[in-house]
Amino acid sequence: MFNFAVLPPLSLYIHVPWCVRKCPYCDFNSHEARAAIPERAYIDALLRDLERELPRVWGRTVHTVFLGGGTPSLFSPEAVDRLLAGVRVRVPLAPDAEVTLEANPGTVDIERFQGFRDAGVNRLSIGIQSFDPEKLQTLGRIHGRAEALQAAEAARVAGFENINLDLMYGLPRQTVEQALADVQTAVAIQPAHLSVYQLTIEPNTLFHAKPPVLPDDDTSWEMQNQIQDLLAEQGYKQYEVSAYAKPGYECRHNLNYWRFGDYLGIGAGAHGKITGTQGITRLWKTKHPGNYMEKAGTSAALGGIHNLAPQDAAAEFLLNALRLTQGFASSLFQERTGLALSIVEESLRLAETKGLLNRDHATIRPTELGRRFLNDLQVLFLPETSRHQTRFVAHG
Amino acid sequence: MSSGNQAQIRNFSIIAHIDHGKSTLADRFIQLCGALEAREMQNQVLDSMELERERGITIKAQSVALNYTARDGRTYRLNMIDTPGHVDFSYEVSRSLTACEGAVLVVDASQGVQAQTVANCYTASELNLTILPVLNKVDLPSADPSRVIKEIEDIIGISAEHAIRASAKTGEGVAETLEAIIEHVPPPRGDTEAPLKALIIDSWFDNYLGTISLIRVMQGKLKLKDKIRLMATGHECVIEQLGVFTPKRKPVSGLNAGEVGYVIAGIKDIRDARVGDTITLAGRPAGEPLPGFKEIKPRVFAGLYPVDSADYDAFRDALGKLCLNDASLRYEPETSQALGFGFRCGFLGMLHMEIIQERLEREYNLSLITTAPTVVYEVLTNKGRVVQVENPAKLPDPSAIAEIREPIITATILVPQEYVGGVIGLCVEKRGIQKGLLYHGRQAMLTYELPLSEVVLDFFDRLKSISRGYASLDYDFLGFRSSNLCKLDVLINGDKVDALSVIVHREQSQYRGRELTKKLRELIPRQMFDVAIQAAIGSKIIARETVKALRKNVTAKCYGGDVTRKRKLLEKQKEGKKRMKQLGSVEIPQEAFLAVLQVNEK
Repeated sequence: MFNFAVLPPLSLYIHVPWCVRKCPYCDFNSHEARAAIPERAYIDALLRDLERELPRVWGRTVHTVFLGGGTPSLFSPEAVDRLLAGVRVRVPLAPDAEVTLEANPGTVDIERFQGFRDAGVNRLSIGIQSFDPEKLQTLGRIHGRAEALQAAEAARVAGFENINLDLMYGLPRQTVEQALADVQTAVAIQPAHLSVYQLTIEPNTLFHAKPPVLPDDDTSWEMQNQIQDLLAEQGYKQYEVSAYAKPGYECRHNLNYWRFGDYLGIGAGAHGKITGTQGITRLWKTKHPGNYMEKAGTSAALGGIHNLAPQDAAAEFLLNALRLTQGFASSLFQERTGLALSIVEESLRLAETKGLLNRDHATIRPTELGRRFLNDLQVLFLPETSRHQTRFVAHG
Repeated sequence: MSSGNQAQIRNFSIIAHIDHGKSTLADRFIQLCGALEAREMQNQVLDSMELERERGITIKAQSVALNYTARDGRTYRLNMIDTPGHVDFSYEVSRSLTACEGAVLVVDASQGVQAQTVANCYTASELNLTILPVLNKVDLPSADPSRVIKEIEDIIGISAEHAIRASAKTGEGVAETLEAIIEHVPPPRGDTEAPLKALIIDSWFDNYLGTISLIRVMQGKLKLKDKIRLMATGHECVIEQLGVFTPKRKPVSGLNAGEVGYVIAGIKDIRDARVGDTITLAGRPAGEPLPGFKEIKPRVFAGLYPVDSADYDAFRDALGKLCLNDASLRYEPETSQALGFGFRCGFLGMLHMEIIQERLEREYNLSLITTAPTVVYEVLTNKGRVVQVENPAKLPDPSAIAEIREPIITATILVPQEYVGGVIGLCVEKRGIQKGLLYHGRQAMLTYELPLSEVVLDFFDRLKSISRGYASLDYDFLGFRSSNLCKLDVLINGDKVDALSVIVHREQSQYRGRELTKKLRELIPRQMFDVAIQAAIGSKIIARETVKALRKNVTAKCYGGDVTRKRKLLEKQKEGKKRMKQLGSVEIPQEAFLAVLQVNEK
């Protein structure tokens, strides 16, 4: 059924599941660090985990590494150094590999950033979210406006040129002017990359239990438009729903996700996706940090594993690739899914009729309408489930 | 006991309003006569359909034959015939009562007499039944027996001085009721030697046995292998099985005048064994059938469509199966430009419609769109022809219409005095004509002529809310009457949606049009573009609402490498879309097609 001519590029995701404090909007696998983080034990576990994964990716080069969380900047530079050194001796890392570390402004200074840089980190992603003290408080962040500005400055001084700032808009009681002011402040720092997300309320978060008052649809729409215009004027090109970059500074790690590349996932709750000659496998690790550290390196650390059915591989490729502003080369579908593009022909045609998609001989890309109604576009590619199955899913 | 001895048979029904305790009392009778072991007793034995138990109402008539040893030392055969308890099924009630010589009138000792009870008591009186009043729930602190006795005497017009005070819950008065039945209800007096006349009380379909008919032998006798004739349809067949319900099925070799039991005769279609028809012997037929047989006609119609057109065949099969057991359900294929292929179904009333709809969805796992229910209109064309219109979309062009006639009912409403003003206001709003207003102590009885279409709309709910739940309603079909009616169409983004058309009184058309578009605006979710909702009479637009376009529908975050969460979110959106009907490029939720029922108060 699957027919792969080449294997996709490989990335490595490393999850650090601790934070100083859990934010009320966050639904990622992160836990408040009540005592000191068990750095040594966790890194040992990560390396055992990586070793056990090696047979899946034997001989393949890793092109990007991403330390995400949680708050990876809670780790000491020495720990990050030991981790990355451990990675390098186990898998071939490309000489120009992009190595990103997520940092919380409340946990860093110049020396720490320098230490990360010396360890081999060459891209920083700083979770600013907002520069507005009142909004930062509402969001439960541990930093204020000053720390946010200092963190960005410290990263620059430490020698990082590839910096991303994470921002959010549509915050509780936020006005269009306030949202724009945040983006202007960020632009003044001149980072290479900006990720600008609209705040959404996710299940299993504090905000879900006690919903704050968010701006209405029309206001957040206005925010989005003005932010897009401002960033375009300032030379940041939007290349994905929430991602903007100066030319050449697109996040290669995330692009690999969106282009349906392969990735190993190590760490508590980390997800991986690996292509083999038999097809595409998804797997994830057990979520709880304590349990993970105990079981890492054995089959018991696996949270789950399954092979994608062809129609799921096709759907998931499009779920990712349609997020890209420029869409994708038509040939990429076959290359990454191992399937002929004709299996989604009917849905592609429907999407075109609805004005959500454009196709020419070489590329497939969402239209302006398709980008605004991306969920409606993506839904068209979900495989049909029988009523019986759907019911089962709904109740289970 | 010899079954031929009519002096020791009593046939009776229980007349009661919903919730006044009929089923509990029936259970007590069964218990007292030892017909079922304790472990077999399931609450409300007679309401055997799941839906019946849930709603606490009886839909199909049933019977049970009980052997009761009375205080006089003799053993009597008591045939208790249960009757449906809703106004939609009044014909079935009258047939059940015809099979009896007496009726136990159960009235809740605190709530008092209700309209439904009155109507059934009048029917019982017309049929010369002996009525035994029983005050139930006398153990409740709110019970007021003397007030309720006065109500029974005032409203129903029977002596209630010796009414039995009972509590089906505690068992008080249950044995007294059985004794009173034996003492006061006359035994049947049918001539066993006369040509056979047996009344069909109800018929239902069993997958293994075919049609089973519950019958009361009025005169003559029948036995196994007899060749019988059904007088209304002329259908002839041979009796394969006879028996009585104890309440389990118990075969017997013959049934004689005065007895109640069941007949199985290899009848494949229950329409051949209609409720109210007379069974006679093919070899020695009776000259005349029993009086009172009526062809039952559906009064309320609605289009039912599968949400997923792939379910059409399954839907047709399900309707076929329901019809096996429901002679009053009608259906025929119908095509809607908006909804595709479906069926126009005819029901006895709104409850009947809800029950069928619920059974289709529950027992047959179908997802259906129901259009607004409508009554049947008679249209007199300019060429002098009379056409029956069961679907507003099929109303002939106004230029071809000389007159539209709508069905009128006589409604009897019983309500505590303090709410009379409100109820009159409601009846006026619903174009009612007052025919009577009588006060009986605390209660008032209002009689109104009302268009059935108004009653179908939201009359009952409004009546209940105006009277805080105290008013009760009963109605009889009166006839067709000419009225100033017109068709109200709904256009969505300029396209007429046939399934949303309704026939309304011209004076109310402006208001109804505005309310309908407003309601639809609330029900139709925002989409990628503006959705215009218009109401029109002919080519004239009388109301317009707009559902503003949604700005965007994007998930901002991507969850790192975990695509499953994003998928779950999209699957949920997709599931939501599946419950919508696509009209052109607009997605309409199922509920929108019933929006016309939800017009608010003026």
